[in-house]
Amino acid sequence: MFRFLHSSDLHIGKRFGTMPEELRGRLREARHTVLDRLAAQAREGAAQTVLLAGDSFDTETPSPAMLRQALAAMAGHALLRWVILPGNHDSLLADELWSSARVALPANVVLAVEPAPIEVAPGVVILPAPCTTRRPGRDLTDWMDRAATPEGALRIGLAHGAIQSFSEDGGDLDIITPDRASRAGLDYLALGDWHGQMPIGPRSWYSGAPEPDRFKHDQPGRALLVSLAGPGAVPAVTPVETGSFDWRSLALDLLSGDDGAAALTQRLPASPARRQTLLRILASGRLRPQARAGLDAAIAAVAPEFAFLQLDADALATDCESDDLDAIDRAGALRQAADALLTESLDEARSATERQAAGDALVRLFSYCAAMPS
Amino acid sequence: MKLTALRLHNVRRFAGRGVAVEGIGDGVNVLCAANEVGKSTCFDALHALFFQPHTGTPGAVQGLRPYSGGNPLVEADILTGAGAFRLTKQFYGGKRASVRELASGRLLAQADEAERFIANLVQGGTAGPAGLLWVRQGVTGIERRAKSDEEGEKRARESVLTSVQGEVESLTGGRRMAQALAACEAELAPLVTATGRPKAGGPYALAIEERDALAQLEQKLSGELRELRDALDRRRSLRARLAELDDAERHATLLREVAQAEAALAAARAHGEALRRAEVEAALARNAREAAREALDTLRRDLARLALLREREAQSRSHRDEALARQRAANEAGLAAATAVERAEAQEREARDLLARLDKAMRAREAGDKLARLRQEHERAAEGRGEIETIEAELKALRLPAGALARLEALESELVGLRATAAARRPLLRVAYDPGVAAAIRLDGVTLEDGEERTLSGAASLVIQGVGQLAITLPQGGDGEADLARAEARRSTLLAELAVPDLAEARRREGAARELNGRLDLARQRLRLLAPDGLPALQAQIARLEAQGAGAGEAEGDPEALRARLAETEGRVVAARRAQSEAQAARDGANAAVVETERGLAGVASEQAGLAAALGPAPARDGLEAQRTAALAQAEQGWLVAQAQRDALQAGAVDIPGAEAKLRRMRSVLDGASAEIASLREEAAELNGRIRARADAAVEEAWQEAAEKLGASQRRVAALEREVALLTRLRTALEAARAQARDHYFAPVMTELRPLLGLLFEDATVTFDEETLLPRTVSRNGLEEPVGVLSGGMREQLAVLTRLAFARLLAKDGQPAPVILDDALVYSDDDRIERMFDALHRQASGQQIIVFSCRQRAFAQLGGTILRMVPWVPEG
Repeated sequence: MFRFLHSSDLHIGKRFGTMPEELRGRLREARHTVLDRLAAQAREGAAQTVLLAGDSFDTETPSPAMLRQALAAMAGHALLRWVILPGNHDSLLADELWSSARVALPANVVLAVEPAPIEVAPGVVILPAPCTTRRPGRDLTDWMDRAATPEGALRIGLAHGAIQSFSEDGGDLDIITPDRASRAGLDYLALGDWHGQMPIGPRSWYSGAPEPDRFKHDQPGRALLVSLAGPGAVPAVTPVETGSFDWRSLALDLLSGDDGAAALTQRLPASPARRQTLLRILASGRLRPQARAGLDAAIAAVAPEFAFLQLDADALATDCESDDLDAIDRAGALRQAADALLTESLDEARSATERQAAGDALVRLFSYCAAMPS
Repeated sequence: MKLTALRLHNVRRFAGRGVAVEGIGDGVNVLCAANEVGKSTCFDALHALFFQPHTGTPGAVQGLRPYSGGNPLVEADILTGAGAFRLTKQFYGGKRASVRELASGRLLAQADEAERFIANLVQGGTAGPAGLLWVRQGVTGIERRAKSDEEGEKRARESVLTSVQGEVESLTGGRRMAQALAACEAELAPLVTATGRPKAGGPYALAIEERDALAQLEQKLSGELRELRDALDRRRSLRARLAELDDAERHATLLREVAQAEAALAAARAHGEALRRAEVEAALARNAREAAREALDTLRRDLARLALLREREAQSRSHRDEALARQRAANEAGLAAATAVERAEAQEREARDLLARLDKAMRAREAGDKLARLRQEHERAAEGRGEIETIEAELKALRLPAGALARLEALESELVGLRATAAARRPLLRVAYDPGVAAAIRLDGVTLEDGEERTLSGAASLVIQGVGQLAITLPQGGDGEADLARAEARRSTLLAELAVPDLAEARRREGAARELNGRLDLARQRLRLLAPDGLPALQAQIARLEAQGAGAGEAEGDPEALRARLAETEGRVVAARRAQSEAQAARDGANAAVVETERGLAGVASEQAGLAAALGPAPARDGLEAQRTAALAQAEQGWLVAQAQRDALQAGAVDIPGAEAKLRRMRSVLDGASAEIASLREEAAELNGRIRARADAAVEEAWQEAAEKLGASQRRVAALEREVALLTRLRTALEAARAQARDHYFAPVMTELRPLLGLLFEDATVTFDEETLLPRTVSRNGLEEPVGVLSGGMREQLAVLTRLAFARLLAKDGQPAPVILDDALVYSDDDRIERMFDALHRQASGQQIIVFSCRQRAFAQLGGTILRMVPWVPEG
């Protein structure tokens, strides 16, 4: 029985330039501390080996502090053996990175920088396929088919790249054959690159990022605890949570009569989790101006509780009817202005920008009037 | 409501006395008085009557009290739709208020009820519409006024408009509109300036600045990143190259290759040297072979020549013998011919003597002529002699070194010839005297006996007694030992001087000399003819003839016969001389033949002797040929060997420049590798530094961050742009709606104001301010100006007209109220005041207007009811 923890795409050093300043530090810190969480999960699952299937570092030239602190964190878990594979972000082209790493390499860290078998434990051989460049343009796992290992040894492939053309970076020249595990007689193929966790077959898995870094996958940060009973045995693969921040997308599909604020409030995560949640609200459909103003107000009210809260309302249209305009004023100049804006926002003869501006202005006028003491 | 009278007592300056203004009528009433008369006191008192409760003592009331104290009393008669009333108020002590019906004098109301009655008249006090119509001195929007006054007036105006047009709030959106606009402005103001540009320091401008700064940063970082990647790539290739260059095996291979190239070059050079030597040896061998062949050929030629010479020697000898025989015969013939000549000449001389003697006489006769002729002859003789001397000189020149030079080779044979002919050429002289003559001839002073033979050498002089002297000259070189000795001496001299003689030249000169000799001979004969006895003799003859000319003698005989005889003898002499000359030529030919044959013989002999000496003793000659043949064969063999050697070397020749080039190339590869290693290491060190610096700064992360931030910033700018567009649009919409509403709201007052304005200003329009409900701008001639910048006169006129307009609105609304102007037109010129009064009169139909003014003259002309202040004592 051989147990190990399979993870990838740590992207240590990622800066999150699009995020607010105060959040960025926390997000970066979370990428670093994920090493500790991985170690904890490994210990809990009685695994003594952690395989990192590429993109451990976000760039080819992380700052020396970043690199040394990551290595020190690994060294801190002395009972674990860490195997680091270069991915497309930290490919072998990053010779500065790998040579610096070699200089400060802790005893329990192995750099899988050559396509050659590594015996991590008696009878357990890792077959790594390190990325030679950002885009190698070929299937780097090809060599595993011919890799000789001792009779009866476990063969564990370690690779980074796309199985199909759904790579994180959209490349499609260097696709790993989906049946590499069976072709190369692998007991398990530990894959990295795809930030969401995903099985490719009984023996091939993408571990997903242990600490998510984007809204795309809508999954918590996870790793895989893998148990191999023996050569040829089907691996037992168990997802384990390792994420610190939750990146979530919340789709709000609204109808004209809906109360957007209420719909949102119902679906917001529980309060204690909000500090560690980055939430993207994808609003679509139609809302009456008041409801829209209410939605905005509800979001504004709840936003400070979240690590990050963003409303994407590009797909949300505003429906206006005379009742709505009455909320502004029943007559008089304000009403006249609202009428003019509504007419303009619906006037197909005008440019989309003009219509947009008129519609936005109308919604804003609603919000002003709603805020006035009646 | 109309005022009909005003009375006051104990008010301000009227302490302890009263004053009344009676008879206030409809339309325009003017109270014109100088300053300090009490116009404003009247105004204030009237105002207090209508607007101040009698129980209070606010500032306005206090202002009414005289300095000396007392209780101000104000009374006014009014006319309303309900009838005529008298309103009375007393402040301070005995304060009271009362309303009486004027007609009956009945007290209608007192105290608070009176106040309520009055308040109903003015509807709302100073804030009511009526309050609006009081215009005090300076209350024209020029001076600053108390805020409460402004507010009060505004509310008054508002109430007027509201009464005719409805709530301004509901029309213009009022507060809500203002709030919405304010909110919009509050949001927009930090973003953009009034002209719509991003406001410096505002979030929009900051976002744009940030975006631009980030774009710059991103570019800079991307440049640095590119630089870093380039540096990494470069270092990678450097390292690969260094590993390749540093490889020990490769270095050893290089060194080996250099050594090989050096060895190859040395071998090539050695080979080249050997080839050059072989070539030299081959050339030498060829020369040796040529020399051997030449030697053999020469030997064979010499032997053949020797055989030929032997034959030729025999021939030459026989030829010479024949020539000698011919010479002897020719000498005999020559002697005979000479004898014949002498004989013929003797005869001719005889005849000539006879003739001469005969001629002597004849010549004596022609002495002068003859003498001249003789002198002529003498001249010609001298010329002849000159010619002889010339020829002799030429001859001498010919005989000199050139001749010796020419005859060097020939001298040998000539000497032989000279020796051979020396004896033969010695001439013999034999005298045969005529009978009876003896010892008549002397040779060199020795008398010759008859039959005596003498040999002659050189020149001989024969003196013939009774005849004259006969000079004999023998041919040059024909003389015996002396010539021989001289020739030998010359030969030895010339042999010493010159190596190669020229036979042809010698002959040519010999021939030329001979020809000259011939010419000399003839010249001498010619001289002899002209001066047979020489020039001295001719001169003597001339002298003689000169003497003869003195004493001429006689002669006998037949000159013609003598001349014939002389001619005949002369012919004989000529014939004899020709024969002698021919004999001489034959002798010359014979002599030449002898010389030629002797020379040929000598040449053959000497050549034969030379060859024999060169060939050595005859018995060794056959051996010599064999020896030379063998030497030739050997040289031939040597040459073939040398040639074969050279060809072999040539065939195996190595390209030295090629070997040198290869060595140079190998060395340069080696040197280049070292230099490249050094430079690569240097560059690698430099790159290391650069990469370390960039990597330490985590430039890629920084760039990614900057790029992401830039994206976010761009989105933020776009959002702000949208926000600005939204807010701008909203503000525009709100302002447009409000302006439209305002125009609608102010329409009634504008309707009233427009005709009034037309009286003062042609083509002027006014817009109203929604806040103050007062004119905000005035447009004239298409130029819109805020009221604040108008002239003082125009502003007060506008203020008055506006109030008139409001008054008309009030009147139309059924609440007519008097318009009271207290010195309201202080800035206006007289013309404008007149026009203002036109407006006032026009307005005054159904409207009471009371004007207080100190400008007595200006207002005196204006028409209307003139009011006067008269003393008044209150009743009771």
